[in-house]
Amino acid sequence: MRRGGLAVLLLPGLVLLLAGFLVPALIMLLAPPDTTIGEVLDRLVQMLADPYDLTIIGRTLGLGLIVTVTCVVLGFPIAYLLARSQSRWAGVMLAVAIFPLLLSNVVRTFGWLVVLGSQGAVGQALVALGIVDEAPQLLYTPLAIVLGLVQLFLPLAVVSSYSALAQVDASLDEAARGLGAGRARTFWTIVVPLSWPGVVVAATLVFAGSITAYTTPYLLGGSRQRMLSTQLFQYSSSTIDWAAASATAMIMTVLVFGVAALSSMIGRRARTS
Amino acid sequence: MNTRRPVAASLAVLGYIVMIAPLMFVVITAFTAGSTVRFPPDGLSLRWFDAAVTYEPFMSALASSLQLAVFAAVASLALGVPVALAIHRGKIPGKGLLEGLFLSPLIVPELVVGLALYQQFMIGLGLNNLTTLAIGHTVLMFPYAVRVTGASLALIDPAVEDAARGLGASPLRTFFTVTLPLLRPGLFSAALLAFVTSFNNVPLSLLLQSRDFRTLPVTMLDYVQQNYDPIVASTSVLILAGTVLVAVVAERAVGFAKIFGGINR
Repeated sequence: MRRGGLAVLLLPGLVLLLAGFLVPALIMLLAPPDTTIGEVLDRLVQMLADPYDLTIIGRTLGLGLIVTVTCVVLGFPIAYLLARSQSRWAGVMLAVAIFPLLLSNVVRTFGWLVVLGSQGAVGQALVALGIVDEAPQLLYTPLAIVLGLVQLFLPLAVVSSYSALAQVDASLDEAARGLGAGRARTFWTIVVPLSWPGVVVAATLVFAGSITAYTTPYLLGGSRQRMLSTQLFQYSSSTIDWAAASATAMIMTVLVFGVAALSSMIGRRARTS
Repeated sequence: MNTRRPVAASLAVLGYIVMIAPLMFVVITAFTAGSTVRFPPDGLSLRWFDAAVTYEPFMSALASSLQLAVFAAVASLALGVPVALAIHRGKIPGKGLLEGLFLSPLIVPELVVGLALYQQFMIGLGLNNLTTLAIGHTVLMFPYAVRVTGASLALIDPAVEDAARGLGASPLRTFFTVTLPLLRPGLFSAALLAFVTSFNNVPLSLLLQSRDFRTLPVTMLDYVQQNYDPIVASTSVLILAGTVLVAVVAERAVGFAKIFGGINR
């Protein structure tokens, strides 16, 4: 069999991709039920001028950014210490950090209800210590969403940073140290630049994940702190406003593709410079 | 942790606390004897575990979720492995573009994919939600199969396959006796990722639920919204225990830093 013949193997997968994904997605974005592309676009323009909708877009992007920065700032040190550690516990600690990726988001997010809820650990502790008289409202705040999303995406940041750091030869650190550079200088001039592409990948995955996550903003933000995802679900399940749902879906899709494109541009520049 | 790097060590400790502490609180809550989720819990008992395993909506949803995840894992591998073979072994123009196309379901927000399937398949074509969920989950798990088996195919030297063919093995025989055994860790990783991701999925399954066939995470999410009792904590602990079991098996079989390393590339 000539190797070109292997192209046949693509067919079943292509059929699934077209029928189960590309075609339905295009129809939904461009011609959802009971409405026209014109109405969807009108709604899109309306959203981009409406203060309420802009607040939701802004909140989604803003919280996504905070979550991304936090995940990189917390995840990189974890990956760095684990990648450079000689301890046999390093493997176990890496497993503990990555393990949550296998665990349901519902379970992970539910923990914050136990911690932040009005009868929860933090509120009760503050009351017991006499700092406040009544447990403060911690749920349904931007802080709750950020905490939940950081917990959700930190393992992803650790994995991406770790695989980048593992490729940076530890003897380069030693060489820099041997030539007289201090720890901080070695870190910023050797370790960070060489693992930078991995950090860009980590940040992209976290940001794209944060601005599209549903479970966490739904449980921890509720209807008081709407994000694009919870708003999209609202439009498509309660109000059944297909034009608004499609317009929101468009905004989400464009944002995610924008982030992916931006990150591949940054990644390319890092490689050529 | 390394005490000679105080800043990095403090940030790392903080990171672990954010990741692990909420889970600890869930575990403690699950053992409460009281009837509300509160902290500290009112005494200790196993009553909520008993409640969880006898609560019919969760148990039937668990069965549905397991069925769906097994189907999605098998179907995505059955369709994804041939695609990975064609991309990495065939002489086909535009491989990069093709691979990007097959990975595209990973980029589009899941909720958007779910909405599309809901509108076109359930409303438009009148398919039932089980069929639509099966299609949707397979579409979503398919990129894992293509990417992860593709990554391990790239590590197998094609010369080994050429040698087998040179010795007279047919392409089919070469695949089953040479390529497939070498591919086994990759297939295991892909199947595990697909299974776990499907089992835990919320955004795609959310719009596609019906009374007859609902998945566990979606059922739990609805439950939390209406009731706030420790049964969700005890169910969570049972899921946690199951997941630890999966993690240990995965760690023994392939090493799961390796499994997750594969999805980021």
